[in-house]
Amino acid sequence: MTRRTRSLQLAAVAAGTVLLATGCNAAAKDSADDAGTSGGKSFTLVTPDPVGQNEFLKLAVTGLKSAAKAHDGSQKVYQSSDTASQQQNVQAAVDAKPDVIVLVGFEFADIVAQQAEKNPKQPFLMVDACTTKTFKNVSCAVFREHEGVYLAGAEAGLLSKSGKVGAVDVLDTPQFRRFSDPFAAGAKQVAPKTSTSTRFVGGQSPFDDSARAKEQANSLLSKGYDHLMAAAAAGNYGVFEAAKAKGAYAYGVDVNQCPSAPGTVVDNVIKRTDVAVEKGIEQVLDGKTGTTVSYGLKEGGISLTGLEDGVEDSQCVIAEHKDVLEKVEKLRDQIVSGKLTVDDPAAK
Amino acid sequence: MFLDSDLLMSALRALTPILLAALGGALCERAGVFNIGLEGMMLVGCFTAVSTSWFTGSPWLGVLAAALAAAAYSLILAVGAVTLRGDAVVLGVAVNLLAVGLTSFLLRTVFGVQGTFDDPDLAGLPLVGGFSPLTYLAWAAVAVATVLLSRHVWGLRLRGVGEAPDAAATLGVSPVRYKYAAVLVSGVLCGLAGAQLALGNVTLFSENMTAGRGWIAVVAVMLGRALPLGVLLAALLFGLAEAAGFRLQGLGLPQQATDAAPYIVTLAALFLTTARRRGRTTRTTRSSGAAS
Repeated sequence: MTRRTRSLQLAAVAAGTVLLATGCNAAAKDSADDAGTSGGKSFTLVTPDPVGQNEFLKLAVTGLKSAAKAHDGSQKVYQSSDTASQQQNVQAAVDAKPDVIVLVGFEFADIVAQQAEKNPKQPFLMVDACTTKTFKNVSCAVFREHEGVYLAGAEAGLLSKSGKVGAVDVLDTPQFRRFSDPFAAGAKQVAPKTSTSTRFVGGQSPFDDSARAKEQANSLLSKGYDHLMAAAAAGNYGVFEAAKAKGAYAYGVDVNQCPSAPGTVVDNVIKRTDVAVEKGIEQVLDGKTGTTVSYGLKEGGISLTGLEDGVEDSQCVIAEHKDVLEKVEKLRDQIVSGKLTVDDPAAK
Repeated sequence: MFLDSDLLMSALRALTPILLAALGGALCERAGVFNIGLEGMMLVGCFTAVSTSWFTGSPWLGVLAAALAAAAYSLILAVGAVTLRGDAVVLGVAVNLLAVGLTSFLLRTVFGVQGTFDDPDLAGLPLVGGFSPLTYLAWAAVAVATVLLSRHVWGLRLRGVGEAPDAAATLGVSPVRYKYAAVLVSGVLCGLAGAQLALGNVTLFSENMTAGRGWIAVVAVMLGRALPLGVLLAALLFGLAEAAGFRLQGLGLPQQATDAAPYIVTLAALFLTTARRRGRTTRTTRSSGAAS
C-alpha cells in the first residue's frame, strides 16, 4: 500500500517538475512593446516565437513599424513562446481592437480561423500562411519561394565545377519540394548538362535533426555533388558543416545564413517579411480583405542576399562572383517581366 | 558501388551515440532498473557539452562536463526508482520531457537564441583516423562491459541484484548501492553519447537534437537482451539500416519508404530472435515432459 502511494506521489512530483519547466517558458510571454501613441491607425503583430535574434521575425517588426510610421499610427508587438501564449496573445490583440492584427507563421492558422468567425469586424493579416477556409476579414500574404530557389540553383549551375548540384530538403511533400525542385531547374537552365539529386532528412524529427541532415549531405558530397541547397530547417547547420569539411558550397534559406559558415555558404533565398507586412497592411486598409496575395521576385517579397544591398558585408561567397550575379540578375528580370515562369511544385 | 567505405563511415558515425547510450541502458537493465530516460540524459549531455566547450574553448572539458551533468541528471531516476521505489517508466518519461524543456529554456537564457546555437568558433572534437576519440571509447566500453558483466565479481553482483535483489541482500550485497551505480554509469555514458552527438557528429546544439536516438538505444537494449555484444550488434544494425536508407533515396526510393528502413529491420530482427527463442523453449518443455 505504502509503495503504491509513494509511486503515485512520485509521479505527481515528476509531472509537477515538468509543468514547472514548461511554465518557465510561458512566463517569458507577453513582452509587448509600445511605440507611438498618436491617434492614427493601430496595428498589432503577434509572433509565434520570441523575436530576439530571429531575422525573419525582426523583419516583420520592421515592416510593422514602417506601416505605423506611414499612417502616423501606433504599433504593438506581442511575442509568444509556446502554443498557450500564442492563443493568449491573439486573444489580447483581439480584445484591444486594433485596425489590423498581423500574424506571422502557420502556427496561427487555426487560432485565426476561430477568432475571425467570432469577430467578423476585426481585420486579420496572416503572413507566410493562410487559413484553410477563406474568411472575409482574413487576408493572407504568402511567398513564392520557388522563384528565389530557382535563382540560387542558377548560381549553383554557374559555379559548380563537377556539374552536379543537389539539395537537402526536410520532407518529401509538395510544399517542401519548392526548395529542391526549382534548384535543379535553375541549375539546368544555365548549364543544361548539370545532374541533380535531392535528399530528404525525414526521420523522427526532420526539422531538428542536424546530425541526420549532415549525413544526408555527406551522401551527396561523396558522389561528387559540390553545390548543395540547404532547406533542412535546423538541419541546415549540419549541411553547412558537411560542405565545409569537403570544401564544397551550400545555399541557405529565409535569412542570411552566410555568417554561420563564411566561405561555404554561397547565397541565401530570403523572405522579406517586412515587405509582405507593409504591403499587406496597405491592402487591408484599402478595403481589399479576404484575399490571398503572393509575394515573389516581382513584389520584392523574395530575394537573394546577393541581389540585396550590402552583399559585400554579408560574408557570402557570392560577393566575390560579380559575373555570376550579373547573369542571375538578368534571369530575375525575366521572371519579373513574366518572360520566364518557374514551376511551382506545390501548385496542383 | 553501393556498399562503399562512405556508407560504412556514415553507419559508424550514426552508431556511436546510440551505442554509448544503449550500453548505459544495458547496465541498468542488468541491475533491474528499466531506464527509458536515455534520450533525456543524452540531451542534457548535448547541451552541457556545447555550452562548456563554448565558454572554456576546450571540447575535452565539454565532454567531461557532459558526463558529469548527465550523471547528476540521472540521479532523478536513481533516487526516484531506487530509494523512493517509484515506477521507473514514469520517471523515465519525466526525465525525457524535462530534458527537452530544460535545455530549450537554458538555450534561451544562456545563449539568448532559439532553436539552434551554432557558431564557427565553437570547438568540436578532433578526428582521429576519421572518427572522434569517443567512437573508439565506445567500442572499448563494449569490451569493458562484457568482461565486467561476465568475469568480474562486480558484474556478478550487479546481475544478482537485478535478478534476485533479496537473495543478493542476504548475501551482504547492497542492491541499492549497485542500482545507484548502474544508473549513474548510464548517466555518464549518455552524457558521452550527447557529447559525441553535439561535438562529434555535428558541432552545434539544437533543441531536441537527439531526435529519438535515445529511444532507438532503448530498443537496442531489448533487442540485444542487455548483453554488451548484443547491444553492439543491434546498434550496428540500426546504423547500417539508416545509412543504407540515405543511399536508397539516391537510387530513387521515396523518403517515406527509406524512413521506415530502421524500423523494418527492427521488426525483422525481433521476429527472428523471438522465433528462435520460442523454438528453443518449446523444445525444452517437450523434452522435459518426455523425461517425466
